[in-house]
Amino acid sequence: MEDVLTENPPPSRFIQDDLNNFASPPEPLPSPFIVLSNPKPDLPLKPSLLLISLSSPSLYIFHSLPSKTLIGTLILPELPVSGNTIEPSLQDKSCNIYSLSNDNSILLVSVQLPVSPERSNLVSRLLVGQDIVPERVIILDSIQSRNFRGRLSPDETLAAKLETSSEKKAAATSRLNLDYFPSGSVIDGLSASLLSRCQLKNIRGTLVVSWPEFDPSVVRFLGALLKNIVPGLDVASVGKDLEMYSSRAGLKKDAWVESDLYT
Amino acid sequence: MEFVVEEGKRVHEECSTLILPALSIGNVGQLAVDLLVSSTAGERVGYLDDLNLLPCVGNDAYGPLPCGDLALPLEVYESSSTAITLAQQRSPVAKGMMIKFAENIAEFAASSGKKDVIVLSSLDFQRLHNLDLSRGPQVYYLSNAESDGRDDRCERLGFGRLREYDSEGRCWKYLSSVFEENSKDELSFPSEDELEDMDYYPSLPFAALFSAFKARGLKVTCLLCYCSEGDNIPDAFLLAEAASKLMGLSPDKFHGEEGGKWRIPYSWKSMYGAPPDMSMF
Repeated sequence: MEDVLTENPPPSRFIQDDLNNFASPPEPLPSPFIVLSNPKPDLPLKPSLLLISLSSPSLYIFHSLPSKTLIGTLILPELPVSGNTIEPSLQDKSCNIYSLSNDNSILLVSVQLPVSPERSNLVSRLLVGQDIVPERVIILDSIQSRNFRGRLSPDETLAAKLETSSEKKAAATSRLNLDYFPSGSVIDGLSASLLSRCQLKNIRGTLVVSWPEFDPSVVRFLGALLKNIVPGLDVASVGKDLEMYSSRAGLKKDAWVESDLYT
Repeated sequence: MEFVVEEGKRVHEECSTLILPALSIGNVGQLAVDLLVSSTAGERVGYLDDLNLLPCVGNDAYGPLPCGDLALPLEVYESSSTAITLAQQRSPVAKGMMIKFAENIAEFAASSGKKDVIVLSSLDFQRLHNLDLSRGPQVYYLSNAESDGRDDRCERLGFGRLREYDSEGRCWKYLSSVFEENSKDELSFPSEDELEDMDYYPSLPFAALFSAFKARGLKVTCLLCYCSEGDNIPDAFLLAEAASKLMGLSPDKFHGEEGGKWRIPYSWKSMYGAPPDMSMF
């Protein structure tokens, strides 16, 4: 049980160093880029639906889906790829792009690498509006307890959404039937950057955040959600080996602070 | 930095005064802008997109009930009743990029026809050397109306001039030079290790914004208050009230609760997290 007396409140305050005008700018890094497999399709890709997974449950689902074709990957030059396997694996630090159809009308992106907040805007521009120009985007992430102003119980499944204006105007039957993320709490990082891109580009976009971070109930919930969005999606195989990923043996949160010494 | 007009909205040229927060201790500037947007019934007209701003999103911050309108990191509101533009910043600038950010937002203000800028910020109470409790909470200011930072309007309103401003101080001079296109001064970037006590004020975001707007020829006034981390809502009211006085806004321009002046933003209800778990008692 969490200790209510010592539980850290969500951070909403600044570190003085972060506000310093004279803090040294970061060392410039090469821009991230997308590599596509042969035969290379014409850019930009224009899927009718782009599904992006960032949370452990959604990454597990995407990994388990059969009948998907690896068509490319997004490279963050500052991250080493040593330790990655030739066949995609949930333990890889990668950002693979898959197609669910021959015409690339439905694309999946599995974000398994740690994208720092400072690099998020560059990555989101590649995935939404630059190399990929989708008609609709659905992003799957976990609720960030540090930014959430309500109570999060470890044994209660929660899900909420945020939508762009374009998504709100769409037919109600095509939108996800979820409560809105409560006002006063925020979401940051890559998922926030992706949804912001959708809003700025007037693209239908929905960010679904779920809780807990690692739980079979969330996997089942998201599987049903995705089946509702893409009726032809084969989620039957998602339940296999589910218990293996019910613990933190799966992809860890805040993986970007992990050391690269061990690969 | 790109200004993206929200679909179906348009920018009103008569809203020529821009009020924006500088990130600071206690988030006071941002809270004050929240209060001003909510109480003047400000309408969002667009977004500012800058690579140097860290990303964040949320549900509508103002209400009266959150209806799922997406909130982005840097938004522009207009209040036609008060003819002011308000920019609300919800997330920090990437470390080391504040000067670039200030340059970008000054470019936006100048190119969109703004004439007056008011920057709202707070200062660390531990830096206050002359505490005079007899006058009550004090608002300080820094203006480019005169070279020493003085402004007659602010003096008449009883605001205290920020005496720590020294336009010839090395950090203030550096900020001026970096934003002036034709600056002949070749000053080196002050290293973090070389900063001294006096460099506290020019190291803060409000100073970068002040210098950037000044370099673009805009009239800029920074309104400041000293505070500590904690419940900074009273500080937000102090700065918001000071801004409304500086603008000469009468109470009838506001849409407060129960006929009053101020309307508390809906998002403030959960500012300090969920209520305590009473089951432990």
